[in-house]
Amino acid sequence: MSIAFCIPFIGILLCIAVMPLVKGEWWERHQPLVAAFWSLLFIIPFGIVFGAGEAAQTVLECIIGDYLSFIVLLFGLFCVSGNITMEGDLAGSPRVNIILLTIGTLLSSLIGTTGASMLMVRPVIKMNSWRRHRKHIMVFFIFLVSNIGGCLTPIGDPPLLMGFSRGVPFFWSLHLLPILLFNMLVLLFIFYWIDRKKYCREIARGRVPDISKPGTRISIKGLHNLIFLAMIVAAVILSGILPDLPVFQTSEGTVKGIHIFGEVTLTFPVMIEMAIILLAAYLSFRTTSGEIRKKNHFTWGAIKEVAVLFAGIFITMQPALMLLKSVGGELGLTKPVQMFWVTGALSSFLDNTPTYLVFLTTSGAMEFTNGIITTLGQIPVGMLTAISCGAVFMGANTYIGNAPNFMVKSISDENGIHMPSFFGYIVWSFCILVPVFLLDTLVFFR
Amino acid sequence: MNYIPEKRHPSEYKEEDLRVLAERIYELDTKVYEHLGSSLGRVFTKDRERCVEELVWEMLARNQGHIVRSDLALISNMARTIRDRQVKKELMIEYDKILSDVTSLPTSFAEGDVLNEQRSRLNKTNLHTRFSEKDHTIICIGRTFGSGGSEIGFTLADKLKINYYDAEIFSEVLRRLEAEKDHVHDKGGFPYILDQENKDRYVDTRPAFATEQKVTFHQKLKEFSRYHGLPKKDAIFFNQSQLICDMAKKEDFVVMGRCADVILANNKIPHISIYITAPFEQRLRRVMSVNPRLSEKKAREMLNRLDKKHVRYFKFYTGLEWGKAMNYDLCVNSASYGIQGSVDMILRMFKGEEE
Repeated sequence: MSIAFCIPFIGILLCIAVMPLVKGEWWERHQPLVAAFWSLLFIIPFGIVFGAGEAAQTVLECIIGDYLSFIVLLFGLFCVSGNITMEGDLAGSPRVNIILLTIGTLLSSLIGTTGASMLMVRPVIKMNSWRRHRKHIMVFFIFLVSNIGGCLTPIGDPPLLMGFSRGVPFFWSLHLLPILLFNMLVLLFIFYWIDRKKYCREIARGRVPDISKPGTRISIKGLHNLIFLAMIVAAVILSGILPDLPVFQTSEGTVKGIHIFGEVTLTFPVMIEMAIILLAAYLSFRTTSGEIRKKNHFTWGAIKEVAVLFAGIFITMQPALMLLKSVGGELGLTKPVQMFWVTGALSSFLDNTPTYLVFLTTSGAMEFTNGIITTLGQIPVGMLTAISCGAVFMGANTYIGNAPNFMVKSISDENGIHMPSFFGYIVWSFCILVPVFLLDTLVFFR
Repeated sequence: MNYIPEKRHPSEYKEEDLRVLAERIYELDTKVYEHLGSSLGRVFTKDRERCVEELVWEMLARNQGHIVRSDLALISNMARTIRDRQVKKELMIEYDKILSDVTSLPTSFAEGDVLNEQRSRLNKTNLHTRFSEKDHTIICIGRTFGSGGSEIGFTLADKLKINYYDAEIFSEVLRRLEAEKDHVHDKGGFPYILDQENKDRYVDTRPAFATEQKVTFHQKLKEFSRYHGLPKKDAIFFNQSQLICDMAKKEDFVVMGRCADVILANNKIPHISIYITAPFEQRLRRVMSVNPRLSEKKAREMLNRLDKKHVRYFKFYTGLEWGKAMNYDLCVNSASYGIQGSVDMILRMFKGEEE
C-alpha cells in the first residue's frame, strides 16, 4: 500500500481547515460535493490498483461496518438532546462554568462523550449568552466533556467499548480515575484563569447578566427524554455484548448478519443497536413539543455537516488505517510512554477506535506474562492504560479526533459563538493539551 | 443584480451614516431572532440604544472593524437556519447589502485631534452644546481613604441641592437581592464630619470591597442560588450597576465610588468623574485625627491595605487602573485646597460652565 493513497485524506482535512476561511459560503453549499470528490479520488485509483471488487469491499466495509453505526448514534443523541431544554437565570461565570464542565466530564463516562456533549452544550451556551467572548469555554468543553471525561467506562468512548468486547473487564477503566482527576484538575485550573480574565474583560466593557429577579430559577423541559437517552446508552452497551453471545454467532465464530458484498456483513447486533437508537429518536420527537426544539434553536444543520464530512473522512482515511494495521506491529513500541503518544497522535487525526484496536492487538501479540487477560493476549496494566488514555484523551487534539468535537463546533457556530478555525483549534490544543499530556507522561507513563 | 455600495472618502462619512448602518445591523439581528423564536444565538442581547452605540464605535475605531464583520457572520449563521425560504431570502439580501456597506467603510476615520469624542460626549461640562435638558447632573467621585473625598462629595451634593449616594446604593441592592442585611455592612469609606448627628453609623464600618466573612457550606449553597451562581461581590456589583443607571435616568446626584464613572461611561450616560486624593502622610494624619483610637502603625497598615483593595476592586470590575489621572475628567489633591476649597473649586468649574 503506497502512502500516496493517503493524499485524499490530507486533502479533505485541508479543505475542512481552509475552505471555511477562504470561501465560507461556497464551502457551506458544496460540502457534499467536496466530500464526494476526495472520496472518489481515493476509490478510483484504489480500484485501478487493487481491483474494483477490493475497492467496493473497502468502501462498503467502512460505510456499513463503521460509519453507519457511528452516524446513527450521533443522530439519535442529537435528536434526543435537542428535545431537552433548560431555562433559568444562572449566569455564566468562571465558577458556574467550572461546575458545568465538571458535571459534563463526569457525565461523559456514564452516557458517553457524545451523549454528554449533546446534553450539556446548549445549557452551557445559554448560561453564557450574556458574554461576548465564549469560544474558550467551548474549546475546554471539547477537551473535557467530549473527550477526556469518557475514559472511565466502556460506555464513555467507543475504543474502550471495543476493549470491553475483546475481554477487558467492564470496570477495569475505573482504574483510570486518578489520571482523569489529575487531567481535570489541571485543565480546570487553566480554564478558571482564562475564563476569569475574559469574564473581567466582559464586565469592564459593561456587559452584565440579567440577574434582576431575586434568586435563581431553573426549569428543565422535556426531561422524559432521559428515558430515550438511557435507551441509546443501553443500545451502545448491547452492541458490545451481543456479538459475543453464541446466538449471534455462526458455527465459524463470525457474527451473524445480512451479507452485503464480499466479506461485508451488516451484523444483527449492529442492526439491533441502530433500531433501538432510531426508535428512541422517533419516540423522542413524537412525545416532545416542537416548542422545546424552537427554544433550543434545533436545526438539522450541525448533524448534516457532520454526516457529510465524516462520510468523506471515513472513506478517505481507510488507506491510513490499512497502513497502520500493516506496520503497527513493526513500530517497536514496547513501553507505555511510546504507546500513549503514538496511539494519541494517530487518534488525533484517525478514528480512535481502530487505532486503539491496532495497538491493543500489537500489545496482545507481545506475549507478556502478566497483566489483563484479553482475547488478544495478556496486556500489562501500564500498556493498556497508556493505549486507553492515548486513544481517549488525544481525540481532543483536533476537531476530527472525536465525533462530538465537530458537533459541538457546529452547534456553537450556529448559536452565536465564533469557534476557532481547524488550525486555530489545533493551536489551542497544542498550547494547552500537549503540556498537560507531557505532565501525564511524567506522572503516569514514565 | 449585485448591490454595489457607493465608495466615499472618510471625511464624507458622518456619524449619522454609521448610526443608520448600525441600526440596520441591529434590526437584522432582531428580525432573525424573531423568526427563529430562540434567543440561544442572538448576537445583540442588550438594549437597542446601547448596541447601536457600540456598533458605531466599532465602525469608527481603527482596529475594531473586524468585530462588526464577525457579528454579521454570526447573524448570517443564524439566518441561514430559518425554515421559511421567503423570509430567509429577504434577510439574506439585507445581510448582503449590510455586509457590502460595512466592507466599503474606510479602515480609519482618524484625525489629528487628541480629543476622544466618545469620552468627551459623556462629559457633563459639554452638556450645554451636546445634550438636551432631559440629561441629569451626575458627579462620580473616586477617592483614597482619608483624603476627605466623602466630605467633599457630601458638601458638593449639599451645595448643588442634589442627592448624595453611597451606602444607600448598597442597601437598595441588598434589598433587591433579598440578602440578610445584618451580615453585610457598607456604610461608605469614611465617616464624614458633616453628618455629625449620625456619626456612630460610620464608625467601624466596612467598605463594599471588604473581605467577606467565612460562611458555611449550607450558606454557600443558599448564596449560590440567591446570586444566580455568581460570587456575591459580582452579583452586588451587577445590581449596583443597574441601579446606578436607573437612577441616572431619573435624578441628579453625587455618587461615591462603586466604579460609577466607568459604569455610566459604559452605558453612555453623561457625567463628570472626579478623583480625590492627598499625600499619604496627610491622609494618615487625618485618619488618626478623626479616629483617635487608631495607633499610627494600625492606621498606616489600614491605609495601605485599603489602597491595595481599591486598586484590585477597580481593576477587576473596570479593567482600568484606579487613581490614574487619564481615567478621570478631574483629579484633585485635597491637601492643596482643603475640603471646602476643593468643593469651591469643583463648584466654580461646574457653575462657570453653566453660566
